[in-house]
Amino acid sequence: MRGAVPPRPAKQRLRAVAEPGAEARSGPARRLYQGAAALSFSVFADSAVEHYRGGFYNPAMYVGPTVSALALGASLSAVRAGRRGSAARTAIFGTAAVAGLVGAGFHVRNVLKREGGLSWLNLFYGAPIGAPLGATFAGLFGLAAERLSSRRDGPNGGKAPARRSTAGELLGLAAAAGLLGTAAEAGLLHFRGAFQDPFMYIPVTVPPLAAVALGRTALRRAGGRSGGVARTLLWTTAATGFVGMGFHAYGIHRNMGGWRNWMQMIQQGPPVPAPPSFTGMALAGIAALDLMDGAHG
Amino acid sequence: MAEPLRTPYGGYDVLDKWDSPSWDDFTREVVRRRLEEVPGRRFLTAEEWETLDAVCARLIPQDDRGDRPVPIVPFIDQRLHDDRGDGYRYADMPEMREAWRLGVAGIERQAAERHGERFTQLSAPTQEEILLQVQRGRVAGGPWDTLPPQRFFTDVLLRTVVGIYYAHPAAWSEVGFGGPASPRGYVRRELGSRDSWEAAEAWNPVRGAGGAP
Repeated sequence: MRGAVPPRPAKQRLRAVAEPGAEARSGPARRLYQGAAALSFSVFADSAVEHYRGGFYNPAMYVGPTVSALALGASLSAVRAGRRGSAARTAIFGTAAVAGLVGAGFHVRNVLKREGGLSWLNLFYGAPIGAPLGATFAGLFGLAAERLSSRRDGPNGGKAPARRSTAGELLGLAAAAGLLGTAAEAGLLHFRGAFQDPFMYIPVTVPPLAAVALGRTALRRAGGRSGGVARTLLWTTAATGFVGMGFHAYGIHRNMGGWRNWMQMIQQGPPVPAPPSFTGMALAGIAALDLMDGAHG
Repeated sequence: MAEPLRTPYGGYDVLDKWDSPSWDDFTREVVRRRLEEVPGRRFLTAEEWETLDAVCARLIPQDDRGDRPVPIVPFIDQRLHDDRGDGYRYADMPEMREAWRLGVAGIERQAAERHGERFTQLSAPTQEEILLQVQRGRVAGGPWDTLPPQRFFTDVLLRTVVGIYYAHPAAWSEVGFGGPASPRGYVRRELGSRDSWEAAEAWNPVRGAGGAP
């Protein structure tokens, strides 16, 4: 089955064998840190703007941008320095994971306390319920990367421990869930925007397909798994996140006053930092595929 | 000159937005015309103009503005000259131009009958007394036989005067209004919230928190 796997993971496997202990500089751990970084960036920039718009009327609204900024710093330092697992980073990622869950609770409360309670209108214009979970996923991906980096330093040396065989599958399912959730949120908001531009359908089609392909690959453990289709779709999704920023920037340009009116438009126009969430989830999915290949290939 | 009106928006001047992203060329042109091209008298007679001016001074006193009050009568005259109405009127009301002519004549008639003088010659309290009688429908005869006084006062006179006053940037500054919501509108639309480009209240005019008079 190896013929169907693109060359990149094969190279990474070779390097992992040649350089035990360098997991954080290459391979799935590094990819995971990159995914966590993209997600943290998205959550940080988006929540900072949106919570500013909300006037930080609840002091808890400072938590989202702060925690995601810390997670962004931790992921970037891991990507750049390639250091081994660190207790400080583990603590930051753990905090981000928990803070995201708590934040989602706050956002649910915000929607429910509005006039009319749980309604489409309040889901459209209330606090986005799924958004804080971006920090949770960033935290989980970061924690997973920390474990991967640490294990390489363990007594097994360059050899993958037996338990790692399920890590790729679990991570794949998590990334698939994250992609579906992100696509659901994009779908809700793009529906609110009446899909006025045909490109607005991309985030509700490509990422869900990637999520299904990734999920299938993760679940079909016994042989016959190449993940080639999933890999292609995940890379496409990752690119979509970047391109999406450009589309959203163009959307602001088209709004009343355009970029000259940026102070209003970054609050009201399409959120420029939101699409990279897809990039983060997709990178984690690719890391999961690499892990599965490494464990079974 | 009376003391300046104390508003919660102290030093706020909406014209400071002139070159900001809040305003565009179209807005600037409209506001410039409103400020610089004050129409002259074309429809009303000189006497009618004077009477209306005195009426406006009672409805919205502008003593604090000295020699630069917000012009109101010029824009009433413009509206009447152009014969540009609201597009509707109450069935018991005469056509717009006719209503204004009758209304002004009715006010003068009241001044002449009760005090033997022109409305413009009367003291402010006496003028207010006459306007109160019109507002309460306690006038009759002459023009008031064809013009319902209460309708004229509330739906024509007051609405027009207030509308014209608050179309002026000076009045916008007074109430902390930012001008047309185009190109820049509002983002924070929750109760009690304010966008960074909106005028800030130094104190709450309703609750009077923090040093209301």
